[in-house]
Amino acid sequence: MPYPLKIALQSLWREKWINLLSMLTIAMGLLVISLVFSSLYNVGLFTRTLPEKFFIVAYLKDGLAENEIQKIVASIKASGPVEKVTYISKDEALRELKQSLKDAEYIVGGLDENPLNTLFPVSLKREAVGPEKVKELAGSLRKMNGIDDVQYGEKFLLSIDSVRTGMETIGLILMTVMISGVIFICYSTVKILFYRRKEEIETLKLLGATKTFIRTPFVIEGSVIGMAGGILSFAIALAFYFSVFSKLSATVPLMKTVVFPFDMFLLLPAVGLFLGVTGSLIALGRIRFE
Amino acid sequence: MITFEGVSKYYDTTTALRNITLSVGRGETIFVTGPSGAGKSTLLKLIYAAEFPDTGRVTVDEWQSDRRNGSNIPSLRRNIGIVFQDFRLLGNRNVYDNVALALRVRKVPEREVKAHVLDALKMVNLRHKTDSFPPALSGGEQQRVVIARAVVGDPIIVLADEPTGNLDPDTAAGIMRIFKEINARGTTIVIATHNRELFRDTGKRVFRLDNAAVASEERG
Repeated sequence: MPYPLKIALQSLWREKWINLLSMLTIAMGLLVISLVFSSLYNVGLFTRTLPEKFFIVAYLKDGLAENEIQKIVASIKASGPVEKVTYISKDEALRELKQSLKDAEYIVGGLDENPLNTLFPVSLKREAVGPEKVKELAGSLRKMNGIDDVQYGEKFLLSIDSVRTGMETIGLILMTVMISGVIFICYSTVKILFYRRKEEIETLKLLGATKTFIRTPFVIEGSVIGMAGGILSFAIALAFYFSVFSKLSATVPLMKTVVFPFDMFLLLPAVGLFLGVTGSLIALGRIRFE
Repeated sequence: MITFEGVSKYYDTTTALRNITLSVGRGETIFVTGPSGAGKSTLLKLIYAAEFPDTGRVTVDEWQSDRRNGSNIPSLRRNIGIVFQDFRLLGNRNVYDNVALALRVRKVPEREVKAHVLDALKMVNLRHKTDSFPPALSGGEQQRVVIARAVVGDPIIVLADEPTGNLDPDTAAGIMRIFKEINARGTTIVIATHNRELFRDTGKRVFRLDNAAVASEERG
């Protein structure tokens, strides 16, 4: 066994309680990070599927000739990030209304003439579904000749956007805080181990040890603690998935839309390892011989 | 091998060494003596770069104190075996690992470490104590472990700071025999001691320090 690894393993065993405590704290920190990340992932997923359901409705003025309508369709298609324009005639619109009213069809039964407009539901390209772009597009549609009115869920779009932005901001702050926390735990653990072995390090320096020789066992210890924390958090996440999440998904309808990002949890040991190494290197700082 | 050129060292307002000029040849053994606080330990520390001169220059083989940097200090120290006054043994490692440490910092392959360590322990007559831990050893035994650690890497220089302090005369004589053996291999040896018995009739050069300066140079 290489000497630095042997020393690191000996120290990990000798200081097992402090190392265990650090490992548990790192595992909890990584779990919180994963939780926040999962929430952001789900919010992202939800907002990504939003464009498929979102459309702007353009209502046409009455009495337009067929060629005028075709011109409008062509203009709409040419006016930016439009995915699809569907044509619904006023008769079709009335038929759909009656269908949706079902038993209450009598509400529209007494009308002498069709009060509805010919309309175009305009679905947008995925990247265009944002408050600013939609508002801009709606504005340009309104200015077109033959279009009576344009409607879209402006408030809905704005609130979704602010919820997403808010969650992303809070999530990023939380993740930054937790990542710093995990690095700090690795930092303080290695710092404590370093101070406990200060005399040994001084002797090593006097015997001619290089900085790398002195640092390597500590970096190994930090990596092991970080990675063990990562593995533990992965195990907890896995246990949570099988004992709680999968059961909830099968029974609670809302949970069916929530996705458990399994691939991300697989990364936890590597993330732990990376944070462990980072914390150790910061803790060791500069080793001076003068 | 070792040269001091007008070296002075100060600690705040105290003068530890003043204008020291001396040189030690390759394969030579010299003694540095003087009362406590005369600057013997400081002189040794200047050789293994635990301290640096405030004025003047120390040269050890190719290393020069005024051209030091973070990487040439460890390589200088790997060329020197040090017998520390306070031993500096690691209490949580056994005798074998303490001695092996000097080889491991020199990146000697593990398969060669064992033979070298056992040879060094045999030389100091501690072959049977490989698995013991330093706190369980007597002062003389600990001193011999330190000597084994100092010589195991086959350094070009061995520095010994009061190597027989607090030891009985027989043990002290045994330790001096070990130094003689090491010197016979061509290793340069610098021994700092206040015990005149160690250099009496040796015929080696003795530098007597007093009041932070070289008061005399004579033959033992």
